[in-house]
Amino acid sequence: MNPLIFTTILMTVLLGTMIVMMSSHWLMIWIGFEMNLLAIIPILMKKYNPRTMEASTKYFLTQATASMLLMMAIIINLMHSGQWTITKVFNPTASIIMTSALAMKLGLTPFHFWVPEVTQGISLTSGLILLTWQKLAPMSILYQISPSINLNILLTMAVLSILVGGWGGLNQTQLRKIMAYSSIAHMGWMTAVLVYNPTLTMLNMLIYIMMTLTMFMLFIHSSSTTTLSLSHTWNKTPLITTLILITLLSMGGLPPLSGFMPKWMIIQELTKNSSIILPTLMAIMALLNLYFYMRLTYSTSLTMFPSTNNMKMKWQFETKRITLLPPLIVMSSLLLPLTPMLSILD
Amino acid sequence: MMTYIVFILSVIFVVSFVGFSSKPSPIYGGLVLIVSGGVGCGIIMNFGGSFLGLMVFLIYLGGMLVVFGYTTAMATEQYPEVWVSNTTVMGVFLLGLLMEVMLVLYVLKSEEVGVVFEFSGVGDWAIYDTGDSGVFSEEIMGVAALYSYGAWVVIVTGWSLLVGVLVILEVTRGD
Repeated sequence: MNPLIFTTILMTVLLGTMIVMMSSHWLMIWIGFEMNLLAIIPILMKKYNPRTMEASTKYFLTQATASMLLMMAIIINLMHSGQWTITKVFNPTASIIMTSALAMKLGLTPFHFWVPEVTQGISLTSGLILLTWQKLAPMSILYQISPSINLNILLTMAVLSILVGGWGGLNQTQLRKIMAYSSIAHMGWMTAVLVYNPTLTMLNMLIYIMMTLTMFMLFIHSSSTTTLSLSHTWNKTPLITTLILITLLSMGGLPPLSGFMPKWMIIQELTKNSSIILPTLMAIMALLNLYFYMRLTYSTSLTMFPSTNNMKMKWQFETKRITLLPPLIVMSSLLLPLTPMLSILD
Repeated sequence: MMTYIVFILSVIFVVSFVGFSSKPSPIYGGLVLIVSGGVGCGIIMNFGGSFLGLMVFLIYLGGMLVVFGYTTAMATEQYPEVWVSNTTVMGVFLLGLLMEVMLVLYVLKSEEVGVVFEFSGVGDWAIYDTGDSGVFSEEIMGVAALYSYGAWVVIVTGWSLLVGVLVILEVTRGD
């Protein structure tokens, strides 16, 4: 793509999310969502093969439907409250419709079907932008309307997302689909605590973005999109192999790595609000997630995966230099001792 | 007739929407869109929005639909589908017409006939009073406000349109 056009379109994606996060008028928020959607389509379609075009079409259709539902909820809210500012949603119907629309944008169950298919059809860098940056805008709106969200619907969607994210990722060997199901599960964790303590949602979002960014950059470094090609990294860069191990275990939520922090805080917050069965169920279902991360580490870092003999003697070409990778790896694995700092948040 | 003009125009509006939703070829869809645009303009004018109605004619029909018509004429097939050429299209069109006729009969004659299914009323959607003070027209003031207080909206929508054109060109450019 022409570099000038590419820069413009990338900046418009950023501008769209910024408009969503900083507006106080519902119509501007909708405009921000549409700008974001429109500008990310050519980024998803960077390579022109039928697979990326199909993925972009699926993304566009689902997100446009979600925007339409959002507009309907905005208009019902206008009808019942007479004003356009975002404080809370004044009508239960509008609140339910808006929650469903934002769940469609995030990829929560039962609207999760587009996430693996779209993530699989696009390149690794586009998948990175899709699974991290695109989650910021809907989550910020959920944060802002959190006092008026119907708890039953949100918790149902969250728990089902954790289940689907864990269960659906079990049969996958394609790395992008694994990351997509991991994204669904993490979105479920984030929205489960939204009504109780929205700050923890933002904490989880931050740590999730760091870990997903790290994982994708490790995949980009070794140019691998399947488990099989990831299992050859011991030959190319053994250091990356170790870092894949650490980051995947962090994503699975194991202490003493930083991925444990959001899960711990969320379970603590839920038990403070006298719900015990729910966090138990959530923690048990997170084990499904941990299982397929463990399988990836097993085949990559812990054993030599079966491969042909010429794969064991790879020619070393010039390695990619990803500048941001070391700080990201440190942040996504070693942040747990900083947990007492969370007391400075509201 | 003038007291019922909004009702008549709304019926023609819905019928023309049925006309293009039954999916004939885009050329004929555009033809019906012209009719629906004109009739919609008439409805808005009856509520006092003369500026908005003229905007519909000028920008929507005279700009966007003309460009649409030209591009469709370049891309159309040799024998485009009319409403009567395909059984499915004709069936959908007649079904839509039938539903509209039933609705009009319900609106006109719901007192004289025994009705099985009643709507709960129009409720908040009916406009009895346009709400203006009668001294100046609110819609012209709204347009003026768009360019003064709403400068940010103009910037954002203008940028969105520019990026829309860039995105479409980028997507259709191919390799």
